[in-house]
Amino acid sequence: MSAALEVTNLTTEIQLSRSVVHAVGNVDIKIDAHQTVGLVGESGSGKSMFGLSVLGLLPNGGHIVDGSIKVDDRELVGLPDSQMRNIRGNTVAMIFQDSQSSLNPTKTIGEQVAEPVRLHRGASKKEATDRALEVLELVGLPQPKERLGNYPHQLSGGLRQRVMIAIALSCDPRVLIADEPTTALDVTIQAQILALLDDLRDRLGMATLLVTHDMGVVAGRTSRINVMYAGRIVETAPTDQLFRSMRHPYTQGLLGAIPRLESDPGRALVTIPGIPPDLTNLPPGCRFAARCAFATEKCVEQEPPLSGNDRDPHRFACWHPVDGPVKRLQEISAARSASVTKRSNGDPEHLLEIKDVFREYPVTAGVVLQRKVASVKAVSGVTLHVDAGETLGLVGESGCGKTTLGKLIVGIEKPDSGEITLGGQEVFKLRGRTLRKARRDLQMMFQDPYASLDPRMRVQSSLREPLVIQGIGSRKEQDERVRKLLGSVGLPVNALERYPHEFSGGQRQRIALARALVLEPKVIVADEPVSALDVSIRSQVLNLMKRLQIEHNMASVVISHDLAVVKYLSDRIGVMYLGRLVELGSGDDIYRRAAHPYTDALIKTIPVPDPEAERNKEDVGIRGELPSPIYPPSGCRFRTRCPRAQQKCADEVPELRLFGPGHQAACHFPLQTPMDGRAAGS
Amino acid sequence: MTDPLRPVIEGMAGPDGGPGVQIPIQETPDGGDVYVVSSGWRLALREFMDNRLAVVGLAVLVFFVVFCFLGPVVYHTNQSLFNPLTTDLPPGSGHPLGTDEHGFDELGRIMAGGQTALVIGFFASFIATVIGTLWGAIAGLAGGIVDGILMRIVDILLSIPYLLIVLVLATKYSATVFDESMIIGLFAWLVPARLVRGEVLTLRERDFVNAARVMGSSRTRLVLRHLIPNALSVVIVNVTFQIADAILILAYLGFLGFGLQYPAASWGDMLGNAQQYVSSGYWWLVYPVGACLVAVVLACNLVGDALRDALDVRLRRR
Amino acid sequence: MTGYIIRRLLVAVIVTIGIAVISFLMLHYLSPSPVYTVLGAKTTAAAAAAWNRSHGYDRPEIAQLLTYLGQLVRLHFGYSYKLDQSVSALFKENAGRSAYLTLAALLLSLLVAIPLGIAQAVKRNSLGDYTATAINFTLYSMPSFFLGLILIQFLALDLGIFPPTVSDAVTTTWQAFTHPLQLTLPIVTLAAINVASFSRYMRSSALDNLAQDYIRLARAKGLSERSVLFRHLLRNACLPMITLIGLSIPTLLAGNLLIEVLFNYPGLGLLFYNALGTQDYNILLAYTVLGGILTVVGNLIADVAITVADPRVRL
Repeated sequence: MSAALEVTNLTTEIQLSRSVVHAVGNVDIKIDAHQTVGLVGESGSGKSMFGLSVLGLLPNGGHIVDGSIKVDDRELVGLPDSQMRNIRGNTVAMIFQDSQSSLNPTKTIGEQVAEPVRLHRGASKKEATDRALEVLELVGLPQPKERLGNYPHQLSGGLRQRVMIAIALSCDPRVLIADEPTTALDVTIQAQILALLDDLRDRLGMATLLVTHDMGVVAGRTSRINVMYAGRIVETAPTDQLFRSMRHPYTQGLLGAIPRLESDPGRALVTIPGIPPDLTNLPPGCRFAARCAFATEKCVEQEPPLSGNDRDPHRFACWHPVDGPVKRLQEISAARSASVTKRSNGDPEHLLEIKDVFREYPVTAGVVLQRKVASVKAVSGVTLHVDAGETLGLVGESGCGKTTLGKLIVGIEKPDSGEITLGGQEVFKLRGRTLRKARRDLQMMFQDPYASLDPRMRVQSSLREPLVIQGIGSRKEQDERVRKLLGSVGLPVNALERYPHEFSGGQRQRIALARALVLEPKVIVADEPVSALDVSIRSQVLNLMKRLQIEHNMASVVISHDLAVVKYLSDRIGVMYLGRLVELGSGDDIYRRAAHPYTDALIKTIPVPDPEAERNKEDVGIRGELPSPIYPPSGCRFRTRCPRAQQKCADEVPELRLFGPGHQAACHFPLQTPMDGRAAGS
Repeated sequence: MTDPLRPVIEGMAGPDGGPGVQIPIQETPDGGDVYVVSSGWRLALREFMDNRLAVVGLAVLVFFVVFCFLGPVVYHTNQSLFNPLTTDLPPGSGHPLGTDEHGFDELGRIMAGGQTALVIGFFASFIATVIGTLWGAIAGLAGGIVDGILMRIVDILLSIPYLLIVLVLATKYSATVFDESMIIGLFAWLVPARLVRGEVLTLRERDFVNAARVMGSSRTRLVLRHLIPNALSVVIVNVTFQIADAILILAYLGFLGFGLQYPAASWGDMLGNAQQYVSSGYWWLVYPVGACLVAVVLACNLVGDALRDALDVRLRRR
Repeated sequence: MTGYIIRRLLVAVIVTIGIAVISFLMLHYLSPSPVYTVLGAKTTAAAAAAWNRSHGYDRPEIAQLLTYLGQLVRLHFGYSYKLDQSVSALFKENAGRSAYLTLAALLLSLLVAIPLGIAQAVKRNSLGDYTATAINFTLYSMPSFFLGLILIQFLALDLGIFPPTVSDAVTTTWQAFTHPLQLTLPIVTLAAINVASFSRYMRSSALDNLAQDYIRLARAKGLSERSVLFRHLLRNACLPMITLIGLSIPTLLAGNLLIEVLFNYPGLGLLFYNALGTQDYNILLAYTVLGGILTVVGNLIADVAITVADPRVRL
């Protein structure tokens, strides 16, 4: 039986004004009906270009240079556009990452879903609308009939993605290409959408290509995975085999670089040094050689072909393949664990204290005078503390208030009520010079590496600035400190003379980290430190952060939506939902003894790069979308999605209760038994 | 000496069964090499130079400045004594562009007129930019009620048609270079005010400003070191467009009968009788001047457009 | 949505009052009293003072301002002593002709600019795009009367197809409409300048939209390029044009003024021009206020239109 999609030796190039981008090189992929195949790679790997090549939607200057694409034995390469149009949206369909910008903002949902039907099947308006309704029900859109007249901005992210899937399925395609379908979604929604895709594939029998950078996403949903690097497939294998016994060093590094929930925080992550190659200027040999720990001269000179032939299930392109995952990871200094245990003696003096903090943002309307019509309840009564030398992690999905809390800690925002004290003193009630001096101890590393550095200042000036503002040291001393710091974050000295736009994202983040450290603060807040970075770069920065934590022995607050990252870096973790703290505890407490249903859901829905674990996942019963933080549910804010919710949850706000030493959760019907049933102290 | 956080990979089998090899071929620093793209201003300059039209525009501007200010030094003509014998001569011997109704050589007239036009153009746009930038910056920084009031005033003034109000003022004040610069610049600051305010508002929210606040930076330092340098690009682009608009307004003023005291004249004044000249067939008194005017305005627009793109690229790159 | 409209109306009223106040201040400053126009330049100080007292020109400014505002509310734009007619009557007489000229030019410029801008965006960086951009830039940099003169020179004087000025026979709007040859050059000139700026804006709006993901999705559905342009791009790219038209009203009025003067077309612009010559400040400032009101109303309509056209704003 021939495959639904068979791509052989596909090579795509994009002609720019001065150079040629070799986006895709000699790629073979085969997908049968009822099968999902994964295509994994980082940004710049060519995976998105591959999908666009199949559909013939390459950007200006792009064209297929070589190879063949066959759908049900029909050759697509070389087809005139008029015929290709019959295939797009009809036989081969595609889902894109950003549902917000992929839907026409001025057309209704109904019109957009019906459009392919009218086009390819010649349906009348009524027939097409009926079919649209049918498909919207199929993708699980609640109240589809009412939604037909809605506009995209009226739907949440998860619902919009369902609409995109509906559009793709409206004409019963044979092949479905899903390009990062869940990357922009929250974790709990992500799980729903992935389950939906699986279900649809089983029912409708499409050959599905799942394109993503997230190894966890492909682990449980695909039967075969292709790993792409710099435009080439470097390894391809059945899913289980890939994870258990990968052969290519890149795959090995990639999987070792991802922090997982069950990772031992005492062990380093595998790092892949450097950055991916420039696709306009490719090296002659193996494209991964510059970053590979096993590279030899042969690797630099000759490009390795894919091993075996197309009947081999497991193929890789490497002269010195490895044998499975990294066996032993380096242990991080034991001094760290010692300082952690010392603290559990219950030292009453907390370094940073956050007491019952509230912050709301007014939603204004009105043209002459801005009137407040509603408010976004960003942070609603959070109490936390951080001790010297420890790392507190804050985790939660969008709208949970973690970023706002971070801003409150460093004083970018002021709380509406509640206290934030450092060393017993309310820092932001100070003024003038005392305030400035106190700010030395509270520094921040911002989320967006592109926006947090002044584009008009050289790196040297940006790094010196904190010292200049605080009036510390002579010019010579400042320069010396800056130089050392730059070295400790792994950047070459010539970086000092450069401007931010000359660096990659990962490098900019290192600079931001260096800047946050320049004043040797007591507390550093890191807001999504690695979210904007590629996977292979993330572990570099995470290892760096770990090492610097030990060296400088400072307290940190790490904020992220990624629980694995938070758990890897933190001693204690706080889980937030819609402005409230729902659970607080050590990494183990959270991972092994989660008391709150939301925490449990987070842990269970995070895609784990382990195929067997993924397959054995149970359905945690989380339904529905995230409520708006402008109108949060009464009582327990999680109750609208909680499988255990009852009337009490709507009436009473749950208090934090103690479940173990340092382990608290706020739930009326928790998953663990509380200690004494007493309300938690601090 | 190995980095404690770099994994020591043991027990890896090589392809021929032997122990794995670990030979670093290239020492890349942990953070990767820094690829030099280009330093900030040079990048903008290169983008600008790439835009061939912009380079032409710049060249044209330079040419006209030289032509108008240095030309008369080289090419002497009588521009003040009325000579009834040589009025309205078409281009011919001694007068490459003919003479006007006062007997003045037209080419010389264009040079002199150009001087005045350029001076008024620069002066007016200077006034407009300074007032506008300050206004907009204060509004953007202060926020709240101050911003509201300042911007309402801008809205109200912007609703009054610019040309009309300039003309009304011109009935009383148009005789001198100073007068003309003032009335043109007096209402031209509204657009830069809006632009600067918008830019300041955007910049205020940017993370690098927040970062400076977290470091303990004073408000003054924030404005001087971070906000103004980043807002400058908008201002610079706007200046070129201001000059272009000012010269156009001069043309309108001249055409509608307002202008400098005779015998001084700007290009605008020289077009004052353009309609009669055209119907009388005195084309040399209309089209050369007009062409010069269009050329200068066009050059300013091209340069401004290219500057806007070039300065944008620098921020957008990568 | 009605709440939004009401609030916008409130703003419009405030702005209009502001315009009126400023206009009054200018009027008062430039010409505190028309006494010398009425009585003659050589009249005695005593006679002048008496006239001022009897006509209320010696009252404090605030009182005069309030009277002025009160009259405006009733759409009394004052009285032209030089022409011995009420300004409102003069406006009524000329408004139709000016409106015809301006609206015809606006319509023509939109009909040309929108397709041109989109075509330029689609064929970006082609020879056609560069040529169109060059022409646009040149037109944009030209004083409108200069373009008019060039057209008059070639099409009217040299080739004789159109008349160089509008003939005196055209006195009503209807006549303007039924004598298209008379009005061609004025309308085309006025439209040409607008085309330049509109199509530049349209091109950039179309380019922005073409880069958006929803265009890519539309293509991924299998739509032909034409369908993508008409059914998806057109509406979204035109949305900013609505705001632009509102903002262009002052420019349209200025253009109208210049064209009417150049072609001797009897409209509000020509009226204003004559008043400039006679220093008839009542007409001058009244027209300025009228222009301001038109701008405010125009922006209001544009804002409302956007809320109707763009669901993101509406809901």
